[in-house]
Amino acid sequence: MADIPVFFLHGLAYASLLFLLSSGLTLVFGMMNVLNFAHAAFYMLGAYFSYTVLTVTGNFWLSILVCPLLLMAIGAAVERFFLRRVHSHGHLHELLLTFGLAYIITELVKLVWGNYPLSVQIGGFLADAVHLLGIEYPVYRLFIIVCAIVVGLVMCLVIYRTRVGIIVRAAVNDNQMVSALGINVQFVFMSVFAVGAALSGFAGVIAGPLLTTYPGMAAEILVDAFVVIVVGGFGSLGGAVLASLIIGELQSFGVLLMPKLSLALIYMLMAAVLIIKPSGLFGEEQ
Amino acid sequence: MVQHRYANLGLYAILFLLLAVVVPLWFPPYQVNLVTEVVIFALYAVSYNLLLGYSGLLSFGHAMFFGTGAYTTAVVLGKIPGIPLFGAIGISLVFTTLVGFVVGSLLLRHKGSYFALLTLAFNALFYVIATKWHTITGGDDGLSVFRPELNLGLVRLDMADITTFYFFTLVCVGALILFCWYFTRTAMGKTVLLMRENEERMKFLGYNTNITRLILFTFTGALAGLAGSFYALFFEYTSITAISIDMTTTVLLMTFVGGTGSFGGPILGALVFTYLQDFLSDITDRWPLIMGAIFIVMVLYVPAGLSGIITAIKERVIRGGKHGHRMPSEGRGL
Repeated sequence: MADIPVFFLHGLAYASLLFLLSSGLTLVFGMMNVLNFAHAAFYMLGAYFSYTVLTVTGNFWLSILVCPLLLMAIGAAVERFFLRRVHSHGHLHELLLTFGLAYIITELVKLVWGNYPLSVQIGGFLADAVHLLGIEYPVYRLFIIVCAIVVGLVMCLVIYRTRVGIIVRAAVNDNQMVSALGINVQFVFMSVFAVGAALSGFAGVIAGPLLTTYPGMAAEILVDAFVVIVVGGFGSLGGAVLASLIIGELQSFGVLLMPKLSLALIYMLMAAVLIIKPSGLFGEEQ
Repeated sequence: MVQHRYANLGLYAILFLLLAVVVPLWFPPYQVNLVTEVVIFALYAVSYNLLLGYSGLLSFGHAMFFGTGAYTTAVVLGKIPGIPLFGAIGISLVFTTLVGFVVGSLLLRHKGSYFALLTLAFNALFYVIATKWHTITGGDDGLSVFRPELNLGLVRLDMADITTFYFFTLVCVGALILFCWYFTRTAMGKTVLLMRENEERMKFLGYNTNITRLILFTFTGALAGLAGSFYALFFEYTSITAISIDMTTTVLLMTFVGGTGSFGGPILGALVFTYLQDFLSDITDRWPLIMGAIFIVMVLYVPAGLSGIITAIKERVIRGGKHGHRMPSEGRGL
């Protein structure tokens, strides 16, 4: 049972990744009421962009800076030229559109980078291991955990403690009123969507060296991120934190304790939440 | 007006039947195969449109029923030697209906985006089960299926022959599609339609909308399962593709491209999609990209689909675009 701390930290690292991804998803949903099926496709693009930046320059810090910015631009374009057009048609069309975009992005990725796994290598101190709690542990996984904590804190501060956050929250509540107060609501929504895309791109860059970069990575993690949202509650940042932790650890210890059932465990959790509290742990009752 | 519409329908039906019977006589086996595929996917798409078009429920998990039907048929035919064809299809139908009921009672606790998300997640669960439960599903290798002969008492039909199988599929699936059409005319079908337009009012009038929705969900799941059964019999093989998200994407594209606003739209969609796929996959390996692009363009600019275009043209040409009759479900496109 000396493995327990290792598995705990593994779970924590995966939970951090899940949080980075689902926080963006839940942010966009909470603010714009749009469930973005292309979110995981943005994440995949982040991973692939990062692969290209790393093969060209070899600088991980550069890719962690550039790729989210690229995704931010793509996100802004998607909102401006696609999502805004169908907004008046209602939610069904928004869902269909993001679903279609995810499909196209996956096909484009296959076209550009090929339909096979790529391995992303990083150098420097991130590739080392440290002594921690009496075990050797890779620095990179600890780095992921730190990233998630920092991003989570910054998000909380921006949304609940700044003027920008107030405008965004107000725009969700009553966007006509906010618009009447002289604020460009369209621009606010575009920015929120772009930030969401940047967050998923960031998660993708981080995921590259940890998981395999391949065209199926989006579909794979999308389901996990959805389970996080169902368990945590729609649009709740706190719920996303807690649910990510539960699912990360469940996956990690599931492999250790019940290898055969490990994949089904998270679905059982989701089904249980749906039966007992359909709105999720932190979700508001409908 | 009503009489006129039914007369039209009769004409279409006769034309369609003539065409359907002529196919195996004049066309090579390859075309017979394609048309059989169209017929099977037409049922799948019609069942999907009962959810999407008629009740406004967007599901990204229709493949779980299609796949369950396909796998159950394959497993039953494999494990119970000597079972008659209709026995296998029947067992598969009962099982898929049960699955639809259980899954539906869990998923229908939510609506809209949340429902869409849950259907996708549950489809992923079914996919995981199909890939991991090796002893039953064969995992990644899939299961091969053989078509038992059909014993009608007086005659025995050899299903190995594609022409015979085509006629068998045409009769069975055609009857099911007609039943779906009949369903949309029943009180239940109309309730579904009205629920989409104004659920609050239907509740106020004393309709139990939750149960109606569950029945509809189970019904469409069972139909998709039947389409899956025929799919497994047709390809004589069931693989994880049948239960994957790709199969949901397929039905979504067919239904949306054909048009969600009319009953015939998805059938047209199945026809166009199958032939377009056949044509494009000869030219390029990247045909899904073109399909995806077509889908996005349609979502952006032609939300009523091909059948919407046809209706618009018909109204403009015949009625001068003034007092065109519209199908009850046509108003909002979705």
